[in-house]
Amino acid sequence: MPHSEQSLLQAPLGFGLGLRIPHYETILQTRPAVDWFEVLSENYMVPGGKPLYYLDRIRALYPIVMHGVSLSIGSSDPLNRDYLKQLKALAQRIEPRWISDHLCWTGVENVNLHDLMPLPYTEEALRHVVARVGEVQDILGRRLLLENVSSYIGYTQSEMSEWVFLREVAQQADCLILLDINNIYVSGFNHGFDPAEYIDAIPVNRVQQFHLAGHRNQGDYIIDTHDEPIIDPVWALYAHALRRFGPVSTMIERDDNIPALDELLAELDQARHVARQAHAQPAVA
Amino acid sequence: MSKLGALQQAFQAYVLHADDAMRQEVASTPQASAEIRLDIYASAYRLRLIEALQTEYTALHAALGDEAFEQLCMAYLDAHPSSYRNLRWFGGDLSVFLRTTPPYADTPILAELAAFEWAMGLAFDAADAPSLSLSEIAAVPGAAWPAMSFQAHPAVHRLDLHSNAPLLWKAVDAEDDPPPATHATHPIAWVVWRQDLRIFFRSMAVDEAWAFDALRRGATFADICAGLCEWISELQVAQHAAGLLKGWVESGMLWRVYSEAGHDASRH
Ligand SMILES: [Fe+2]
Repeated sequence: MPHSEQSLLQAPLGFGLGLRIPHYETILQTRPAVDWFEVLSENYMVPGGKPLYYLDRIRALYPIVMHGVSLSIGSSDPLNRDYLKQLKALAQRIEPRWISDHLCWTGVENVNLHDLMPLPYTEEALRHVVARVGEVQDILGRRLLLENVSSYIGYTQSEMSEWVFLREVAQQADCLILLDINNIYVSGFNHGFDPAEYIDAIPVNRVQQFHLAGHRNQGDYIIDTHDEPIIDPVWALYAHALRRFGPVSTMIERDDNIPALDELLAELDQARHVARQAHAQPAVA
Repeated sequence: MSKLGALQQAFQAYVLHADDAMRQEVASTPQASAEIRLDIYASAYRLRLIEALQTEYTALHAALGDEAFEQLCMAYLDAHPSSYRNLRWFGGDLSVFLRTTPPYADTPILAELAAFEWAMGLAFDAADAPSLSLSEIAAVPGAAWPAMSFQAHPAVHRLDLHSNAPLLWKAVDAEDDPPPATHATHPIAWVVWRQDLRIFFRSMAVDEAWAFDALRRGATFADICAGLCEWISELQVAQHAAGLLKGWVESGMLWRVYSEAGHDASRH
């Protein structure tokens, strides 16, 4: 898909991986065919030592995007200015192509649950998030990407679907979207919605990045564990998304049970293959 | 309070202490009840924070065993919910918690082991700074030596331990049988530091520990020599102090040298 002058989006980076500690040395020594790396911002918000040593070196070889887990954009607590200052300082150091976090909250009353807690999809929450995204974007001096999270509960007070909420946040706050295909599948299973309906409701001009990942199916519900290979229905959903959005920077998240880099490179090749096939087929109207 | 704020408080109260009020806010489905759904968050929270402590405290974990370590984590978690944006800092109060909370306070090696492991963690990602080299000190003219003072490298940490916690750590790290815990009346001085991204630790004799602590407080070379006279004869003290200095420099424990008050004579 051509990116016009007016496009909100940066050109796709191709196929990336999450930068994980066990792979640092292999990456420097073998310079694998990964188009870009996504780093967890908080892991590098430390004074110095190995984390920043490796980040600087890998940054010199690959484009980097920053992905945070602690912005807590939906929390009713005030925005944490100190965190934002550190985030901005890290961005100045490594000049990421973009910065993302999650459409969620992580705690209130100065507690951090270190989890991506879902928001109620209400007009009130929407106004709250939209105002805060504006503030964050002003501080960072760039558009933020917000990612849809996996969730296990639905709030009785929700007034709209998750996809309408996500779309409205992005359009009203003028931010971008990191669409996690696996999370849509997981939440679809847990809440009984059609993942394709979700994807088809997301504005094409705002999706800058995709996430792919594996999960654990517990029978009655799915836990989003990022410790397994990507399953076939998620690959199929990825193909569906590619047909709607065109080429989008895609990365595979593996946070636990981390295999040798080769195994993830093979999975990344599978993503390339799925993408080639999807782009060869016309979109299904 | 906003409706959103009240909802988030209720959800957090469920995760932290199973407060019931949240249940009515969540839809049950034939697939899974509200309670089952909420419990996914509550148990993931515990697992995640316990895992963070396991990462920081491998030797303490090995010393206590899985079950006791998990119990400790739960007690710590109740006393210290995380307020950090970065999970990295969550375990920072564990040593004090162990020292002041029964029944752990009765086994002092636990708090010391935690303090030692935390210090190693701090050394791991402490600020980067170039280490002082011998040539930089050699360049300070002899007449300026008495007034010379120093700054330790930011990754240096000093601990005084009554127990053999560092030896226990070493055994766990090498997957050897841990030595029995010991408790000395007088503490032994330890230093933890980083050189070329690797973490080191060693004990220090009483005089060396005193001199190093004095250096970190900003004492001059002359002050350090004067103080060392408690252990070393006046005739040999300057040479002894210079020897200690050389050892610290070669280990990368020092960062800056000031040839006189306020004048940074480091060349990096
Ligand atoms: Fe994701």
